[in-house]
Amino acid sequence: MPKLRWNPPGKKKPRNNQEFGIGNKGKGTAAPFLYPYSHDCEMKMKKLSPNLVIALFAAALAMTSCYPGVTVEPTAAPVVTTESITAPGATTEPETETAAAAIQFTDDMGNEINLEHACQRMIVLYSAHTENLYSLGVGDSVIGVNSTSIYPPDAATKPVFDYDSDPEKVIAANPDCMLIRPFIDRKNPDFVAAVKKAGVTVISLYPEKFNEFDAYIQKLGLMTDTQEKADELLKEFHQNLAAISEKTAAIEPKKTVFFESTAVNCRTVTADSMAAQALKLAGGINLAADAEAMTEGSSIASYGVEKILMNADKIDVYITQRGAMNAGDNAHSISIREGFDSVKAVRDGRILEINEKLISAPTFRFYKGVYEIARYLYPDVMDDLESFRSDEPITRENLAAILVRFAHKPIYVTASSKYYQQEHSGHTYGLFTDVAWDDPSFDVIETAVLAGWIEGKTNQTGEFFDKAGSVTRDDFAKAVFLLGDYERTESHTPIADLDQVQNPKIVQILVDNGVFQLEDGKFNPTKQLTVNEVIDLLNGLNP
Amino acid sequence: MNRKSIILLMTGLLLAGIVLTVYQPVAAAEATPTPAVSKKALLVVSFGTSYADTRAKTIEATEKTLAAAFPDYDLKRAFTSQTIIDILKKRDGIEIDNAGQAIEKIYKDGYSEVLVQPLHVINGEEYHSLLVELNPYKEKFAKFSIGSPLLSSHEDYVAAIKALDKEMPARGEKEAVVFMGHGTHHPADAAYAAMNYVLQDEGYTDVFVGTVEGYPTLDTIIKSLEAAKIEKVTLMPFMIVAGDHAQNDMAGDEEGSWKVILKSKGYEVETVLKGLGEMKGIQKIYIEHAKAALEPAGEEEAAE
Repeated sequence: MPKLRWNPPGKKKPRNNQEFGIGNKGKGTAAPFLYPYSHDCEMKMKKLSPNLVIALFAAALAMTSCYPGVTVEPTAAPVVTTESITAPGATTEPETETAAAAIQFTDDMGNEINLEHACQRMIVLYSAHTENLYSLGVGDSVIGVNSTSIYPPDAATKPVFDYDSDPEKVIAANPDCMLIRPFIDRKNPDFVAAVKKAGVTVISLYPEKFNEFDAYIQKLGLMTDTQEKADELLKEFHQNLAAISEKTAAIEPKKTVFFESTAVNCRTVTADSMAAQALKLAGGINLAADAEAMTEGSSIASYGVEKILMNADKIDVYITQRGAMNAGDNAHSISIREGFDSVKAVRDGRILEINEKLISAPTFRFYKGVYEIARYLYPDVMDDLESFRSDEPITRENLAAILVRFAHKPIYVTASSKYYQQEHSGHTYGLFTDVAWDDPSFDVIETAVLAGWIEGKTNQTGEFFDKAGSVTRDDFAKAVFLLGDYERTESHTPIADLDQVQNPKIVQILVDNGVFQLEDGKFNPTKQLTVNEVIDLLNGLNP
Repeated sequence: MNRKSIILLMTGLLLAGIVLTVYQPVAAAEATPTPAVSKKALLVVSFGTSYADTRAKTIEATEKTLAAAFPDYDLKRAFTSQTIIDILKKRDGIEIDNAGQAIEKIYKDGYSEVLVQPLHVINGEEYHSLLVELNPYKEKFAKFSIGSPLLSSHEDYVAAIKALDKEMPARGEKEAVVFMGHGTHHPADAAYAAMNYVLQDEGYTDVFVGTVEGYPTLDTIIKSLEAAKIEKVTLMPFMIVAGDHAQNDMAGDEEGSWKVILKSKGYEVETVLKGLGEMKGIQKIYIEHAKAALEPAGEEEAAE
């Protein structure tokens, strides 16, 4: 049996058709400040409609049983199809075709896919497929994944399969469908053939270009009977992108960006790639907009050191893509390259490392990648705190959002596929029981906690964040101390209630540095802060 | 003369015979047969790093210092990390051998004497793997010597502390230096605890060594900091190269980095990104180890 990579504390090992623990709980309640990761993008997890499944199944049965009797009129079956499944041609097929499956489409290998019912036991060998299936709300129909499928975190609890192993391993798990991409067909055709031969439907999908994303998602919707959800998500996705692009369109002057896709020969991306699209939507000017594909159909384009150095003064921001496909260089290794000290972005320390999962993978998270680039290009506009202003007490959720923006901190993304096999001191990404991966505040909360600014809490069922919880002066002092670098002073201001604060060292240094004022000689550690108090204090930290 | 010596002598004679036989026609063809010159190679083996800046300051600087101490030897380099070798080849077009390739080249190039100096800190798994990899070559050279890692004797610990002393910032009251070592599941992990013990013994009560993957952990070190009422900590790597571990696990801005953990406990934290390989005193210890390796085996016994 394949080994599970991890079992989150307090979470049962997920089984087929069983409610799964992390992904679909605690949908974000509409807090007053959903921004920056709200954009109304609540990926509500919707279950497969049981009625629909039954209807489909019945229809399929009817069709199958009727098949031998050629005389049957082809009218009964398509009722379901016209209702909700846009199986092309199913309603008007001549009677010889009545055995046609309920779901039909052509995959990206050109294979005709015929399914009698939606896939319910899927083995998925590409992380973007896994992520999208979870977004469509059918994560619990996934019975196995490839090793890099660790988002959403629940995916990392699934048994692991790979196309380099014995196909029998896949077959023994009894999937009804194996979802792959053409790369795998090319890399290991024998593996794919063996799985097909065992009666498993193999579906191979991959959108090569940004404009193929919708069609790809719709096919995922079709094969899992979630077309409505797919359409809904696509609509939100494009609205989110439009909102960002509208906002950045108004910003002047525009920043010029070089996007490095591989450190080898400083390659970039083609104009029709997802990454180039992201630059455009984020309001950046792509220095290499005319770069040509390395090979026909590839999104990688040649550029090179010489051209970069020729345009050294023009490059405001240098973006490097990092991840499993391409380890990539980090800001430091780029900055020490020969001659790169002449590049404006390097001189100004404006190098953004962005995880390829956000920018080059065909998932709904792409809009977060666009948003991250926009934040990096135009921090003052995108990370503005004024929209948060209020005299209400600040919640922990709002504090997370405000701190991430204040520090212009890129959102945290797990970089290693072994993340959940490793031990983590403190919080583990994605394991808050009350902050689901599709919560609008998920990214800011994870980022603020993983930076050490806000601490998570634990109870019997595991880690939780307590979004609505209040923020005391004591809590905030710790965040402020971690945000900056403060030195101890020679003499100390007496603090009457120092014995009552959580961390006397931190409070003493901050009071001595004039960051926090005392009230009648007291720090008042348990006093709750309002949103405006927090913003004013943070603004005071800037010179 | 014991049996082993006899076997060695006979093997030597046999090899000489083969060499003579093989080279005879060539020698006969030449007007004046040139006497065989003993070629010597110094092979410095390190884990490697993909960062050119720290590589120059640490590994290359140590290699150069070693080469200068052994002027009769040709300097050869090997890295043990295949990942780093691959990155450097693909990205920077720099070809670096792994240990197996390097020793094979040295052998094929007709060297008769080889001195290997690994830049390991402890006598751990990587060092022992290297010994295993090089073992088949032991008999292929007239002289084959391997120097020991940085911390191999009590004297080494003391010498290392002296070297660190020159690099550490001055500590005022309530201030400490905490070094980050790698740590390992290998029994040699005990070297780090021993280092702390020797530090205390030598009077450095405000200097500590913790590890990322072994013992002492940072939690253990924090207990010592608390007991010593420390308020300010300077973090330094106890690794040859100030690479990814130093930049991320030690000085990084994410939860779990030593800087963030210590800051969240209220310590004022400074970081110094200087690898051990940059330190003259540490380089000197490697030279001493290489020299010691060249001394004839059994000399100590003879002296007794």
